Amino acid sequence: MNTYYAANLLIYAGVDIIAVLALNLQFGVSGIVNFSFIVFQAAGAYAAAVLSMPPHTAAEYSFQVYVGGYQLPFPIPWIGGALAGALLAIPVGLVVLRKLRSDYQAIALLVTSIIANTVINNARPFLNGAAGLALIPQPLQDQVDTYGDSYLYLYIGLTAVCVGLVWFLAARIVNSPYGRTLRAMREHELAATALGKNPVALKMTMFIVGGAIAGLSGAILVGFLTVWAPSTWLYPETIILFAALIVGGRGNNLGAILGALLVPVGFEEVTRLLIRMNIGPPNLIPALEWVAIGLFILGFLWFRPEGVRPEPRRVFEGSPDVEVVDRVRTA
Amino acid sequence: MLVAEDVHRHFEGMHAVDGVSLEVPRGQITGLIGPNGAGKSTFMAVVAGTLPASSGTILFEGEDITRLPTYRRARRGLVRTFQLPSEFARLTVLENLLVAAPQNRGDSLFGALMGKRFWIKDEERLVTEARGLLKRFGMSAKESDYAGLMSGGQKRLIEIMRALMLHPRCLLLDEPMSGVHPRVIEQIQHYLQSLRADGLTILMVEHELHLVEQLCDSVFVMAQGKLIGSGTMASLRRQREIVDAYLVG
Amino acid sequence: MSIFAAAFGFGLVSMSVIAIAAVGFTMQFGITNMINLAYGQVMISSAYVAYYINRAGITIWVGMIAGAFFGAAFSFLLNRLVYAPFQRKGTSYLGMVIVSLAVSLMIANLLLPIVGYFSVSYSEHAGSLVRLGDIVLTNNQIAIIALSVAVMLGIHALLRYTRLGKAMRATAANPTLARNCGIPTQRVIDMVWLITGALCGLAGVVAALNSDSFVISSGAGFLITALAAAVLGGAGQPYGAMIGAVIIGLVTELSAAAWSPEYKEVVAFGILVLVMVLRPQGLLAKRGALAAAG
Ligand SMILES: Nc1ncnc2c1ncn2[C@@H]1O[C@H](COP(=O)(O)OP(=O)(O)OP(=O)(O)O)[C@@H](O)[C@H]1O
Ligand SMILES: [Mg+2]
Repeated sequence: MNTYYAANLLIYAGVDIIAVLALNLQFGVSGIVNFSFIVFQAAGAYAAAVLSMPPHTAAEYSFQVYVGGYQLPFPIPWIGGALAGALLAIPVGLVVLRKLRSDYQAIALLVTSIIANTVINNARPFLNGAAGLALIPQPLQDQVDTYGDSYLYLYIGLTAVCVGLVWFLAARIVNSPYGRTLRAMREHELAATALGKNPVALKMTMFIVGGAIAGLSGAILVGFLTVWAPSTWLYPETIILFAALIVGGRGNNLGAILGALLVPVGFEEVTRLLIRMNIGPPNLIPALEWVAIGLFILGFLWFRPEGVRPEPRRVFEGSPDVEVVDRVRTA
Repeated sequence: MLVAEDVHRHFEGMHAVDGVSLEVPRGQITGLIGPNGAGKSTFMAVVAGTLPASSGTILFEGEDITRLPTYRRARRGLVRTFQLPSEFARLTVLENLLVAAPQNRGDSLFGALMGKRFWIKDEERLVTEARGLLKRFGMSAKESDYAGLMSGGQKRLIEIMRALMLHPRCLLLDEPMSGVHPRVIEQIQHYLQSLRADGLTILMVEHELHLVEQLCDSVFVMAQGKLIGSGTMASLRRQREIVDAYLVG
Repeated sequence: MSIFAAAFGFGLVSMSVIAIAAVGFTMQFGITNMINLAYGQVMISSAYVAYYINRAGITIWVGMIAGAFFGAAFSFLLNRLVYAPFQRKGTSYLGMVIVSLAVSLMIANLLLPIVGYFSVSYSEHAGSLVRLGDIVLTNNQIAIIALSVAVMLGIHALLRYTRLGKAMRATAANPTLARNCGIPTQRVIDMVWLITGALCGLAGVVAALNSDSFVISSGAGFLITALAAAVLGGAGQPYGAMIGAVIIGLVTELSAAAWSPEYKEVVAFGILVLVMVLRPQGLLAKRGALAAAG
């Protein structure tokens, strides 16, 4: 196992952890079935790309067409990525989250995801269409040498800082009275409304916060990959993240992290391993990977819908049920 | 206090509430009775805003609230409970009560991000208050259990306690005591009476007429979407058609 | 001959195709309460079944019947083996949406190694041209339109005049009440999956026949147009879905003529967004699903 391979693994893990933490805020805690999650990651990636790239008229870049091209230094592209995710969440949320029943919301978001991909795929002048963007500058590439192990360590470090930041924010939200209100809305929206909670505002807020985090994850990913195209953000990518959260444990940040390590990262690795070992025809294994992910979702929803690490039961200090406290503490 | 003027609500041709006008007097417990399907719950929902009115006006403390969304009505102190259990199943009993509390600095994105130190005082105060209610309704031992695992009667109590955590000025109770043990009913009665003494206005749907008789200062009767009578329970018993409507319906 | 007259002709064909798909989808949802996101994948699977029959030298019209049978059997099994057990277990609506999406993903990827990545098409003569004023259609296209009209009339007759149709409507309105009135709701629901599955399979073959070529990923597009028409008409309403199909079919073809065929689905999506903003309950929203029938 060489350094590049390990770095690749760690950075993917970081990106997936960030994404699943965001999805946990939206789906696990608030009950918003955001089937277009990956679109927000893509928005962040594209935004980071065009913020860091030179205009497409630049010599080396003239084989592609895209809007923008501002050559802004790190960390502006990453911040811009998060901002793009948040900004995109506003119109989408306003259309989808206000009036529709929650299962309609889910399908509306799924359709949005498919259509957004179609549009970007076909509208070449906007973000270079199906071919996607290439030669996207890496963070700090004009200040440090990007070929070499030390840059990999730097990138891992930057990713880790973002994971820590997102974890911190997510933990504060989930463990606060606000998080409790979100969970109440998830459990019974009408009752929460009758108790003075504004569900549209709550959902919009989580849609925007989640969108920003998703955008950041896209920015991190694109800075490492240096390429980004519609084929990297097809709607099934969202399903992997849902699978991760369902497996790890909805409503539990630790579960989200665990799920991110088990499902997207784990499956990638197993697939890669199987392909390298030349088992079966090469197309079969990725296809079967998807089938396995589907089975994982069904299996967990059937046998253990709460996931490996279920949402913790909140026991308050001084609860008369002391035995329960102990049980939860040791769990 | 609470006035309904010619309130209608239909479901595609089905007139569930068909022109109800009434006034709920301040500081009293008012009953709303009528046969199954009379439109009582629908009326309560329209008043609370969980269902929009097809037409008509609702005034709360002199202000037209017909267009106000439900959550704003609740924040103004007009709070309803539901006939069907509506507990937050995967929140504990205590959390169910805490959610309802309006004054918590941690109950906003900003407050949440500020961290525990920013809101812990509010939280502790509310936990004490909620435990007081739990004790009063005999549910202290259950505070850390998931609300979804409670019995039907216990869920009713959660429903009432949750509404009380909002410190409402007008409480709309939809069959709050169905399926509750007689002794607990007595406790609820006492508590509601003490709340009335503190100035709370209550509108209550109830099928048990003897409870209505004991608790309510005055009563409205609905049948087939219309208001067919009002007065004290004793005066209503003397009115032939009302007795008929109730028995026939 | 104007380009718009031609587009109108294509619109007629398109709406016929969409109507079959959308009515099946919306009835599935209206009666069984299941938003079946695997619908598009069942459509494309049926299209492939017809393709293999067609490739053996048999006319596509036979393949179409086979596709319908396949769709019926597939949908029935899908419900019996996956959806119904999850529903019985008390999985929420949202949970069921996730289940059906997972199933959709699995079908597509199980199919992929079998049928491959390359696009295929039926070998069937389009038939001679028929002129109706400015509109020119092939015999095949006329056959598709006629088939669709026949299916719509059949659905109308089924819902309106048969005991099964009435039982379906009762089950849609209130399953518990229907069961208490002695309607064998389980059997009704089985029948619904068979009938809507047949519509789904038929729609898949017809849609594949109407497009130049198809691949696995066409399934997502099929789903979106069916969804758009169903939601436009008011989810769960067969007659609404028919109206939705007419609108989506016409508008997408006209926009394709005026603008670009690549954006057909985008236009359908645009209509969907408008509906979601302006009239989320759909054009025909009556109390309970299927109420428009009676
Ligand atoms: N969402 C709805 N859609 C259609 N009809 C409804 C709806 N809600 C209530 N109804 C109808 O409105 C009528 C009044 O219902 P409502 O629940 O208000 O009665 P109620 O007086 O509360 O009865 P109960 O004493 O049994 O609780 C009933 O005939 C019911 O079928
Ligand atoms: Mg009622």
